[in-house]
Amino acid sequence: MGKEKENERLKERLASAASMPKDVVLGAAVVTIIGAGEVCIENYRGIIEYTDILIRVQTKGYQIKLQGKNLQIEYYTNDEMKITGKIVSLEYCK
Amino acid sequence: MIQSIIRYMHGYVKIRVEGYSPERFLNLCSYHQIYIWGLTPCGNAYEMYMSLKGFRKLRPIVRKTHTRIVLILRVGLPFFIHKYRKRKLFFLSLLLCLGLLYLYSSFIWDIHFEGNEKWTNETLLEFLETKEVSPHMLKSKVDCAQIVKDIRKEYDDIVWVSASIDGSRLRIQIKENEDTFREEEDTGGDQEETKQPTDLIAAKDGVITSIITRSGVPQVHVGDTVSKGDVLVSGRVEVVSDSLEVVGYQYQKSDADIFADTQMHYEDTISTKYKKKYYEKSQKNLYYVKIGSWLLSGGTLKNNYKEWELHTSEHQLKLGESFYLPISYGRKVVKSYNSKEKTHTKEELQKELSENFEQFSKKLQEKGIQIKENSVKIHIDQNAATAVGELFLNESITEEANTEIIEIERNEQDESVRTDD
Repeated sequence: MGKEKENERLKERLASAASMPKDVVLGAAVVTIIGAGEVCIENYRGIIEYTDILIRVQTKGYQIKLQGKNLQIEYYTNDEMKITGKIVSLEYCK
Repeated sequence: MIQSIIRYMHGYVKIRVEGYSPERFLNLCSYHQIYIWGLTPCGNAYEMYMSLKGFRKLRPIVRKTHTRIVLILRVGLPFFIHKYRKRKLFFLSLLLCLGLLYLYSSFIWDIHFEGNEKWTNETLLEFLETKEVSPHMLKSKVDCAQIVKDIRKEYDDIVWVSASIDGSRLRIQIKENEDTFREEEDTGGDQEETKQPTDLIAAKDGVITSIITRSGVPQVHVGDTVSKGDVLVSGRVEVVSDSLEVVGYQYQKSDADIFADTQMHYEDTISTKYKKKYYEKSQKNLYYVKIGSWLLSGGTLKNNYKEWELHTSEHQLKLGESFYLPISYGRKVVKSYNSKEKTHTKEELQKELSENFEQFSKKLQEKGIQIKENSVKIHIDQNAATAVGELFLNESITEEANTEIIEIERNEQDESVRTDD
């Protein structure tokens, strides 16, 4: 476990030193929020849960929990998804 | 917009996914690059749109995730064609339509001219027709470069031409030379008459007021009275020897501006009486449509009017700007009227005569003739009104005439002079 963490840290330092985009090197999720009604998530693994008040998305290392009203997935492809609806909160949890 | 059209062309379906773990189904879909949109949760299930192509790849995923799929909606062109597959005539006419569209678009339907002022569209069209360029010709037969060459060759005063095909329209842009007329005269004269020596002779009687000679020998002075036919400038220049004897002649084209005071008689007569037409309400109409040589008409022109007028108006149908169809329609009207003889009042006569005179003076001025004085007076009789008088003008009176060539005689004399020396 410790080794893996160290590896991760090294990767991060390397990425920032070489000023390379972290979403490419580390596979970090890119979340773009436009206003309070539109969220774009890139670099994710999959959907865990999806109702019209809660969407949980698995990314590398953590989950994104999106709460709101009338949530709807506009489109859903292998590398990007777009969610519309009234967004109340966005959480990152392990 | 474009995306929705593409989706429609490819066809798409709306499905509902029910089962134990629909999320897994979604993740597998995205893993297999199946595009999903409009995903909505619906109780325990999800509803979504999916392309037809993706839907066909769904079977193994469904088996793996133990879900159940209900097809709700089918949209798109593939389904449309499948639904109407038995309407053969429809598809045939669709094909025919496309074929005709292709066929018709391979013709020129219209010729559009731009920038022509002096030469009318009709003249240019007629000329192009002689070169076998006309509407309804094949587009592939249009040779723009040749059209440009032909037009430039035919019309000297068109200085620039561009021909281009614009869809099914042939566009011809033209630039005309604005001061065409003067140049035409000059160049035409130069080419023809450099060999031919000319004199300038008087075209009218008059008294010379100014003379500016550019070439030739002036034979008159300011103040001289000349009569018609007198030589004003001679194109024969004498070559004089040291002993002031004429040893030869050089010939050239004379050129000079010579103005003279001239006189002109002016007379204009109009009748004091005129016929006035009183139109009556009764008229006969005839409407007609002409297709080729075939005529279809309605109405009649038969009448027993004492005096009548016939008005005809005809319009030819055309497609676009210049593609005339052999179809025309028109109307003929016979109007009946009564006529009565009336007399102009004195004021009316005076007004008309002075208007005529003004018009005449204007025309003279346009030609560059100055009116210095006039003694035109109006006389009104019982039957006619006349404006008579003399106009005193100042105008250019030169006229070209061939120079008399008397070289041979002189040459003989030259020789004798030389032997004497």
